[in-house]
Amino acid sequence: MVELGCHHCGYRWNYRGESAFYATCPRCHYKVRIPNQKVDQTGELGKIGLEEHSKNLTGIAKIVNTVVSQFGYDENMLIQILLTFQKNFGWIPREVLSEVSKQLGVPLTRVYQVATFYKAFSLAPVGKHKIRVCMGTSCKVRGAPVILERLEGLLGIKAGETTPDLRFTLETVNCLGCCALGPVVVVDGDYWGNLTVRNVEKVVRSYR
Amino acid sequence: MPRLNSRADLEELRKEILAKRDPNKPRITVCSGTACSASGARQVAVALEEEIRKRGLDAEVELKKTGCHGFCEKGPLVVVYPQEICYVRVRPEDVPEIVQSVKENRIISRLLYVGPGKERISRESEIPFYKYQKRIVFGLNRQVDPKSIEDYIASGGYGALAKALFEMSPEQVLEEIKKADLRGRGGGGFPAGKKWETARNALGEPKYVIVNCDEGDPGAYMDRSLMEGNPHRVLEGLIIGAYAIGAREGFIYVREEYPLAVENVKVAIKQAEEYGLLGENILGSGFDFHVRVHRGAGAFVSGESTALMNAIEGRVGEPRMKYIHTAVSGIKGKPSCLNNVETWANVPLIIEHGADWFRSIGTEKSKGTKIFSLVGKVNDTGLVEVPMGITLRDIIYKIGGGIKGGKKFKAVQTGGPSGGVIPEEYLDTPVDFDRLVELGSMMGSGGMIVMDEDTCMVDIARFFVGFLLEESCGKCVPCREGLRVLHSILTDICEGRGRDEDLKLIEEIAETMKETSLCALGTTAANPVLTTLKYFRSEYEAHIRERRCPAKVCKSLIAYYIDPEACQACGACLKNCPVGAVEGGEDEIHRIDQDKCTKCGTCYEVCAFNAVKKISGEPVPPSPPRGTRPRAKR
Amino acid sequence: MGKVKLEIDGKEVVAEEGMTVLEAARLVGAEIPTLCHDERLEPYGACRVCTVEIERGGKTRMVAACGFPVENGLKVRTRSPRLDRMRKTLIELAAVSAGEWEEGSKFWTLVREYGADPSRFASRVQIKPTKCIVCGLCVRTCSDVTGDGVIGFVGRGINRRVVIFPEKAQNCWTCRYCQEVCPTGKISPAGPLHSFPSIDDVLAGRV
Repeated sequence: MVELGCHHCGYRWNYRGESAFYATCPRCHYKVRIPNQKVDQTGELGKIGLEEHSKNLTGIAKIVNTVVSQFGYDENMLIQILLTFQKNFGWIPREVLSEVSKQLGVPLTRVYQVATFYKAFSLAPVGKHKIRVCMGTSCKVRGAPVILERLEGLLGIKAGETTPDLRFTLETVNCLGCCALGPVVVVDGDYWGNLTVRNVEKVVRSYR
Repeated sequence: MPRLNSRADLEELRKEILAKRDPNKPRITVCSGTACSASGARQVAVALEEEIRKRGLDAEVELKKTGCHGFCEKGPLVVVYPQEICYVRVRPEDVPEIVQSVKENRIISRLLYVGPGKERISRESEIPFYKYQKRIVFGLNRQVDPKSIEDYIASGGYGALAKALFEMSPEQVLEEIKKADLRGRGGGGFPAGKKWETARNALGEPKYVIVNCDEGDPGAYMDRSLMEGNPHRVLEGLIIGAYAIGAREGFIYVREEYPLAVENVKVAIKQAEEYGLLGENILGSGFDFHVRVHRGAGAFVSGESTALMNAIEGRVGEPRMKYIHTAVSGIKGKPSCLNNVETWANVPLIIEHGADWFRSIGTEKSKGTKIFSLVGKVNDTGLVEVPMGITLRDIIYKIGGGIKGGKKFKAVQTGGPSGGVIPEEYLDTPVDFDRLVELGSMMGSGGMIVMDEDTCMVDIARFFVGFLLEESCGKCVPCREGLRVLHSILTDICEGRGRDEDLKLIEEIAETMKETSLCALGTTAANPVLTTLKYFRSEYEAHIRERRCPAKVCKSLIAYYIDPEACQACGACLKNCPVGAVEGGEDEIHRIDQDKCTKCGTCYEVCAFNAVKKISGEPVPPSPPRGTRPRAKR
Repeated sequence: MGKVKLEIDGKEVVAEEGMTVLEAARLVGAEIPTLCHDERLEPYGACRVCTVEIERGGKTRMVAACGFPVENGLKVRTRSPRLDRMRKTLIELAAVSAGEWEEGSKFWTLVREYGADPSRFASRVQIKPTKCIVCGLCVRTCSDVTGDGVIGFVGRGINRRVVIFPEKAQNCWTCRYCQEVCPTGKISPAGPLHSFPSIDDVLAGRV
């Protein structure tokens, strides 16, 4: 937070935005330059304040705090922090996003923008097994679309969906880097290569 | 392990490791790259371990799990040294025999690679796939265990770093890289030395160096193999670069889809820190350098330099305007030098062997080698490292062993979604940065996808546009909306709703995107469309005017039917059809119900008698009446 | 700050170092259209209609005037038949997601000025128009004014959209700056809370 004064109308207010160069005067809408030390100040203040508070946290706030403190309350690590939650929970509940925003001192809008931008994050519960079908060029010319169609038929869902019993989530990815083995499907980190319409059913069955 | 505090310590350690090793001791190496692991290398390695222990051969035979060898098509790969016998497609069942043969010093013929003339080839380097390559960057992968720094040091690793730190000034290192004419391996081929120099001379502290391992191009995975297979070489290159530029901090950005690369590079960093090759006072030289690994979260556009730097700052990985170079103002507005994995991996070699040696390889304007991932419809797929200037034909036919299934070559796609397709008439073009651009494609990160006559070029163009549509960040209008409209038009063409004016419309949008998009993703996005349109215009026209797909790929324009003359009524298609569109009985020629058929092609794939036919642009012949018996049984 | 001499549409301009081409052009009254730019905010470079031709070292290329810094000896052309054609195409492309807009808005004026046919590309794509061209002016203004933004972007590519965050709704004191900067008239005088879907609805796929 930094106190700014408008050169145009003289209005003074506490600026909490993330722009490093200019803020807009809330009264007259004039461009106000932000002094350079602003960025460091917020970081330091936020850090000290939260470390003192962390002992009294409970519930989700506490869980979030263990991760956020691991990364040293560093807002640059936002993506890494969210990846940790994604890995541990399989998805990121909304409450976690709000908590991360509070504890990291990052605007909620930015947390959501990041969480919805990257493919690795899901904001809704996902199936127990995650099936990822590679749709890279090499897999494509080797027949991946047919494999995907077969999987959709077998599971009764479309790509990007989860079965109602929360057993499987079907996703497509753009190249897993196993191009020599195409078509490739990855289930929970296991790679299945050289698939055909016939043996793909076996793969699914082994996870039922 | 005690910390290495001087160059002499490093040499001492190297000698010590080598003295412990007997070069004549049999060594079995198993490729542990992702592709081989996927085809069962892990099980093979476990079986080997058990077998060796069971026979009490621990002292006589060494087992090593190495990085990716590159010959992914034939994995799992097992190579026995010192004779360098290469076994392909090894199964755990073969393990006892392999161990036995190593003890008896003989070769198992049935596990060898079968050459084009049906001959069996035992030595790895004699296999055509390896024979015509020049593996200066990638070759070490198959010798070292990526999780062992001692392996890397034993092979001369970190020698270049010691040379740079103790024999050369940062300026001399920079001069050497500039003299070597090393060009960025990530896509554009921007001279690395120039970039380093800009970063070095730029005002602002601290400075950053970054490894870009956000290799997103579909069909390309060489950065992954380097990062997984030999992370120390990339790290060494990065440290040398940091020394030359004056950076004290570095980042390695690895894409989300590469967990093994993250794991291996983290191990490598930890080891290098323990050995005093990274961190404070490297090798006692007074130079400090720290590295942090950042994981991507699944966004192709994050590979763009400004977007990647945004991601490292914890922001959304969308590009920003780049009119001031990132080497001047990158991460947090500080000078940031970003290079791709392969570029960094070349650095130690140049320092070790000198710029003149590096310049002796390649063409006039593109020096050194390039790793390509040769994939698609080619016999021997995998990673190939070749000198710049080799022809496409040599790569595809000599190294790759030609087209799968004796089909006809149609085109090769290079440069990923920013590149284009190259037709047969340009197969003799020497491969380097500038020649590929002349053809409307580009080097890109090195994907090389071979396509045969069964590939529809309109469909490929639509595929790439669809890929980019999904991966575009959506910030700027020409890229976001241009791709949306292009995709819609191409879908119309593929589905038989194309109009005559569409081709002009495509060209207009392509031009606007090329000139006005915010980042390279947008400016190059139209390349796959433009090159297919340039070299295969007649295919577009067939789709639009005749509603025909010449390669018989586009579902709306094709039909399947069963040739009554060839059908044996075996029932394979009937059993496998997912929608029940095939009718017929035990002794009755099968028929496809065209209304039910979803054209998935399953019947075509499973038919052993070639009875299922695929047609496009012509009417489906009438089926024989019910009850007609197959010809053979009539 | 140093001075920089450049040429815009044949006229010599003396600009301050660190200025953008757009700012320099406005010094001499050369009109460059913009949709996502506001001089009170950092340059963003999303709409690209401010594209101009620059010539330096004998090479001509197109750049976005809102972000390109001035330099000595730079030659800038703000209007040419080719530029007009590009801008027209860009406006027509932007119209794909916008679909409709208020009469008299900035976007409407540009459609008129460049003789664009907004349905040319829109007719090839089946989507529900949103009246929004995702220029980000409202989002950026909001985060500047409130610090903790009420509205923000979610999604990527063609799914990128502006949403409101109900838990931050109390931050909105209906300053109407977002309405003021919006080039298409998407935001009603009642404020953003009545113009954009909420994050919950978007995540649940209700809108």
